[in-house]
Amino acid sequence: MVNERILVVDDDREIAGAIEKLLIMEGYEVIKAYNGMEALDVLISNVVHLIILDIMMPRLDGLSTMMKIRDSKNIPIILLSAKSEDSDKILGLSMGADDYITKPFNPQELVARVRSQLRRYLQLGDKDCANSTSKHVVGGLCLDSDKAELTVDGDPVKLTAKEFKILEFLIKNAGCVFSAEQIYERVWQETAYSVENTVMVHIRRIREKIEINPKEPKYLKVVWGIGYKIENIY
Amino acid sequence: MVILITASSLQWFYLHNRNINPEVLFVQDYDQSETYHRKVSQGIRDTINQIVYDIEKILPEPEYLYYVSDGEKAYYNASLSHILDHEKYLYKYVDQSWEYGEHTYNNIQYYFDENLSLYLTFTEEYMEQKQQEWEDEKTQLLPIVISIFTSITVAILLIIYLILVTGRKPEDDEVHLTPYMDMMYSDIQLGIMIFPLMISYSEYNMVRNYGNSHSSNVLGMDQILVIILSAFTTIISTIILGVILLSLVRKIKAKRLIKHSLVYAIFSGISKFIRSFFDDSRFEHFPLTKSLDRRQLIFTSASGVMVFTSFIFLLSTRSLFIGMIPVFIEAIIIYWYFNENRKTFKEINQGFQASLQEQMKSERMKVDLITNVSHDLKTPLTSIISYVDLLSKEDLPESAKDYVNILADKSGRLKNIVSDLFDLAKSTSGSLPLDMKHLDLKKLIQQTLGDMEDEIEKSGISIKESLSATPVYIYSDGKKLYRVFQNIIGNALKYSMQGTRIFIDMKIDNNIVEVTIKNTASYPMDFTAEEILQRFTRGDEARTSEGSGLGLSIAESFTWASGGRFQVEIDGDQFKVILKFPVNGVELVSGPE
Repeated sequence: MVNERILVVDDDREIAGAIEKLLIMEGYEVIKAYNGMEALDVLISNVVHLIILDIMMPRLDGLSTMMKIRDSKNIPIILLSAKSEDSDKILGLSMGADDYITKPFNPQELVARVRSQLRRYLQLGDKDCANSTSKHVVGGLCLDSDKAELTVDGDPVKLTAKEFKILEFLIKNAGCVFSAEQIYERVWQETAYSVENTVMVHIRRIREKIEINPKEPKYLKVVWGIGYKIENIY
Repeated sequence: MVILITASSLQWFYLHNRNINPEVLFVQDYDQSETYHRKVSQGIRDTINQIVYDIEKILPEPEYLYYVSDGEKAYYNASLSHILDHEKYLYKYVDQSWEYGEHTYNNIQYYFDENLSLYLTFTEEYMEQKQQEWEDEKTQLLPIVISIFTSITVAILLIIYLILVTGRKPEDDEVHLTPYMDMMYSDIQLGIMIFPLMISYSEYNMVRNYGNSHSSNVLGMDQILVIILSAFTTIISTIILGVILLSLVRKIKAKRLIKHSLVYAIFSGISKFIRSFFDDSRFEHFPLTKSLDRRQLIFTSASGVMVFTSFIFLLSTRSLFIGMIPVFIEAIIIYWYFNENRKTFKEINQGFQASLQEQMKSERMKVDLITNVSHDLKTPLTSIISYVDLLSKEDLPESAKDYVNILADKSGRLKNIVSDLFDLAKSTSGSLPLDMKHLDLKKLIQQTLGDMEDEIEKSGISIKESLSATPVYIYSDGKKLYRVFQNIIGNALKYSMQGTRIFIDMKIDNNIVEVTIKNTASYPMDFTAEEILQRFTRGDEARTSEGSGLGLSIAESFTWASGGRFQVEIDGDQFKVILKFPVNGVELVSGPE
């Protein structure tokens, strides 16, 4: 088993150092670079399994660097930035990043996300998830309707029957927004009457189980005033 | 006053109908009166005409005795000797000269052909009778005339009195104008006055005609009717005239006679209109448009003058050449006008572009500032949090571990404050990106409550909501609103007294939905609504609890940015937040985003 190697790119040496130490403690190998050009240099002569990339850097900023990397490699890239607007996140993700963390970040969360990305990237067993028609994939979620099983980044997650049905419904229609009433009628098979609270509570519980940071969900999102959805991630 | 005038006019009419000769008042003797003299003249003319034109008979039958001859023939209604007997009143014309009897008091100024001779006289009996009649008429006339005279005098006195008094009240010295009456324009009032005058005049004529055709002591039925009719009309006319007259007098007293007339109104309207063309004060601060406006004025007036002079020239000199001179000048004016205007337009456009650039630049600078400062604050903060985390994983003595915990705690708080600060800065500077959608406010609140269930349970405070039964659609930014409600409800949970409840009510009125979140504070609120909304003000003066003090400010700012209104009301221990949004009845359609 190759020791997973991570490239950390940030022009602030202290932050790069802190992340390095954090990841080493988790058992990963770390290489540091302080700007885009250096990062590209490293990638020429080293095998790397994940890149943590700061956006605001001199000489070649994060997004341009990422575009260059994406020309030839498909390794997971986690963007790191002080820019926290939704538009910045959407931009970064649409340009090819796999994840986006804002500074200042919770170090544990960073570690969890790194682990999640690496799992998906390196786990060969992931392949058969995409192949069968009863399995639905959204990002790191793989839901098997036949077997009523859910794996998140390869790890199985236990859901209650209702939770599973809700998630299944939303994953099958990833990207679509559904109101609480619609979800309720689909899953409980009864007429919905004052069900907002019930559905919301279930959604929260699902989130706690599948999201790295339930407060900032990546998959299961609330569209306030309208309903809920599963984000369509490639 | 009205009555008096009516009475006097009635009497006058009566008189007229009776055809009484007013002269009776002045002349004592009949034979000295003008009436008599006229009769004489008429008689002379008639008789002369008879001889000159050979008229068979004089009609009506003459009251006098006459003998007229031209030397060849003669006309007469009495013998010459008979005539000469009555020499008292004899008028004799022979050989182109007049001779008069004793009691004749006038000189005749007619002169006729030499061969004509005329003898004309009245019998004594006739004259005596006439004198009697004369005196009778006088006795009849005199009282009536006196009464007419007195009526008119008194009427005039009354009019004068009214004129003096009108418009003044006993309380003060001001002139009071009557509403309605005095609101009419003066010239219209004058116009109205013409009607009664016209009516009176035609009445007068009518009566006169009537009077001239009758002459008796007793009034006929039709005459009486006419008199009654004229009485009515006189009354009405007098009233109208009187009222209008008084109104005009009042206006004169108030010095508003002219100002209140139609003519004046139209005139001042027109002059204001024309003046408005020359008024460029509204462009006082805009030199470019001011010069445009002026140029426009000069152009139109100059062109008008040119056209006018062109006409004059053409008409007066009939020479095309002379007439073309103004046209030529006009062409020069047009050229000047367009040229200058183009220059001004160019300047205006440049100015506009420049200001637009300025604005965009300043906007960009604002955003850049926020982004840069944000980055500069967040970077060291990230370092602090990362290294504190690494420290916590080191093997440290107990005391050091405590210190590290405190550091972790405080740096976390700092992170929240910085994040809030930038949200607020972006929101108030208007550079906050919004994602406006049609959403159900009721649903949003319920979702938020569901999301905060853990927090609500932990606090021990119960929330009582009474939202609408049906969806309430508004157009707003859902994520921001979620934050607003999360913040308000979070505050309410933190600062409510144990055992009390938080109330969330929804009211729709006039297409505005109003959401009120009410709670009872667990500490005395010694601040006003404005104070608590100030940045960094916190209810807890000691500043020991969590929170950055920006929460309510952010909630307020986000609410405004998302199209709503935010209000705080403090009533004793009650803390109320009121949010208002315009209702947008659009049905939601769920589907792909």
